Amino acid sequence: MDKKHDHRAMFSSERGHDGLVERSRRIKMAAEMGLARSSRGRHWSRALHRRLLRRKGATRGGSCGCKDEALTSSKAVEELGVGENEDDAVEVEARVHALQRLVPGGEELSVERLFEETADYIEALQGQVSAMRALACLLDELERDKRVMGG
Amino acid sequence: MEKEGFWGLQWQSSGAKLPPELNSGSAASDQLPQCFLNLNWKQPMAHDADFESALSSLVSSPCSNPPASADGNGIGELIGRLGGICNSNDISPSSRYRSADASCYSTLLNSPPKLNLSVMDHRQQGRGGPPMPVNRVPGPHIGPFSAEPGFEDGAARLSCFAGRSSGSFAGQFGFLEPGNLSQASRSQSPKGGFGSCVGVGQSRSDRPAHLEMEMRSKIGGSSTPEESSLSDRMTADASTLRTITDNNSGKWKTAAKRKGREAPLSSSATNPPANMTEEENSDAKRCKPADRNGGAKNAAVKPKTEQNGDPAHREGKDNDHKPPESPKDYIHVRARRGQATDAHSLAERVRREKISKRMKFLQDLVPGCNKVTGKAVMLDEIINYVQSLQRQVEFLSMKLATLNPQMDVSMENLLPKDMYQSRGLMPQPVYPAEIGTVLSYAHQPQTVALQSIVTSSLEAQFSLNSLQSSLQQSQSMQHATTDAYTDAPSQLGGLWEDDLQSVAQTGFGQNHGKQIGTVMD
Repeated sequence: MDKKHDHRAMFSSERGHDGLVERSRRIKMAAEMGLARSSRGRHWSRALHRRLLRRKGATRGGSCGCKDEALTSSKAVEELGVGENEDDAVEVEARVHALQRLVPGGEELSVERLFEETADYIEALQGQVSAMRALACLLDELERDKRVMGG
Repeated sequence: MEKEGFWGLQWQSSGAKLPPELNSGSAASDQLPQCFLNLNWKQPMAHDADFESALSSLVSSPCSNPPASADGNGIGELIGRLGGICNSNDISPSSRYRSADASCYSTLLNSPPKLNLSVMDHRQQGRGGPPMPVNRVPGPHIGPFSAEPGFEDGAARLSCFAGRSSGSFAGQFGFLEPGNLSQASRSQSPKGGFGSCVGVGQSRSDRPAHLEMEMRSKIGGSSTPEESSLSDRMTADASTLRTITDNNSGKWKTAAKRKGREAPLSSSATNPPANMTEEENSDAKRCKPADRNGGAKNAAVKPKTEQNGDPAHREGKDNDHKPPESPKDYIHVRARRGQATDAHSLAERVRREKISKRMKFLQDLVPGCNKVTGKAVMLDEIINYVQSLQRQVEFLSMKLATLNPQMDVSMENLLPKDMYQSRGLMPQPVYPAEIGTVLSYAHQPQTVALQSIVTSSLEAQFSLNSLQSSLQQSQSMQHATTDAYTDAPSQLGGLWEDDLQSVAQTGFGQNHGKQIGTVMD
């Protein structure tokens, strides 16, 4: 897989005495990659994947192939059915925009698709957080054990 | 507050009459209402706290749910009584008697129409039309309530809430049973409605229809859990209910709008508020015509007007100016609604229902979102939650980086075959540090992913692969358990936990071995 090369290049270059920031960034990227790959078939996961690869330097284009999803946000609020007040509509639209920015690949989604993707993204994030926390606990235990044994 | 004063007045004025009514009322109805009433009347209604506590006792005491059919009359009488109590002026002694019953908000799912009728009847004076011709209950007059527009809103809201939350959508204006009430209230956000109800000002003017609702809802509002039941009691007036719904929150705005534009009967039950209101509408339609002795269901202008009021109300109690305008619009919409079978409106409705369904799903996903009402606020919560999750990921990645100083992600080739063959600890440090390859095995037996974790921990390396694999697993597990859109095996969750434990154990064992080895050396 060509991805292999990318990964290899990225990881083999830096070893050992990496700065904390650098390491954490790599970890985060790995986590995000895992996140992106774990939910294949989801618009946000594809978008996240694309974004990560782009960050890594690989030129990887390609459309996600999602049809009937792309609706501008201007229509989004209408779809929401919020229209009683101008202020309300503006408020809601602002929040929809914010949500679109948060969810990877959300800018091009209609409101209902956006909500769908948001739900899936939230679930994926929750899983990621719990997995990372579990790993952190595990490593913590290992370290403590190591210290106990070695100390 | 005005309402307290109002209540106090009523109670004081009718206080003298109450006890006898109560006593006599018990004859007509179960002891239930009587106990309620007694509880209630004992406390002075002068103060908010007292008022609310009395109401709570009133509301919360529905210990027994009188059988629907048997006590239908009783319930109606109760309702009437309540109205009568509140309205000392117009209520004849008999009606007052009955209105006392109304204070007991035991709700009967089964005989909502009758009850509604009885309530409506009493309310009738000055109103467009109680749902059905009530023979039994001459009683409770909500008429005097018309003097209290503020109550309307509250009552309307509460009743709408109750209506919404109660499961008795099924076209019955629900007299929820207390049990149902609690469930319903739990499922909904009654508190919001109640709050709005209580806080409602005199924004609404001259909505006699709502008065009754308001009164009831206010009564019931004091005990938020029961407000749904209270609202159900007020289901007599469908429009009032809708008004309440409208008043409630922006969330219902959608429903209101939907109602305004779409056919009364919602096709999908996914949107409770919309359905609720629509159900109420249909009920109201049914009730009202019945009240008018079989008028056409959609014919009455009054329901239209009331419905018109609802969207206005729904838009928020702030929009006092809206109600007068909305009737006109509503009438238009209403007329169209009868024929709302054109593809456009149908598609719109379907789309809006889908969106609201998704919002509901998001609401369940985000913790603490149940109490929030209103699209904007909920979206706010969702955004905050997503941001917090992302921040947690960052923080955890930082923590993992500190925990694992050796970030040797060896790029030796992944040996899939080995991974498949041996489930145990892989002696060689050659671990597939290849993220992509590891992940590609994500969908394969969990042993693969676990191995990655095990080996990585063995080597005291933080393997990004393992992270990703674990993420993958948790993702699958998560998807299995929570994803509503996909169906994934649910046994992954259990497997994950077992594997994690085994991983920890093996990791520990290996570390021990290593340490011992080094020590020995």
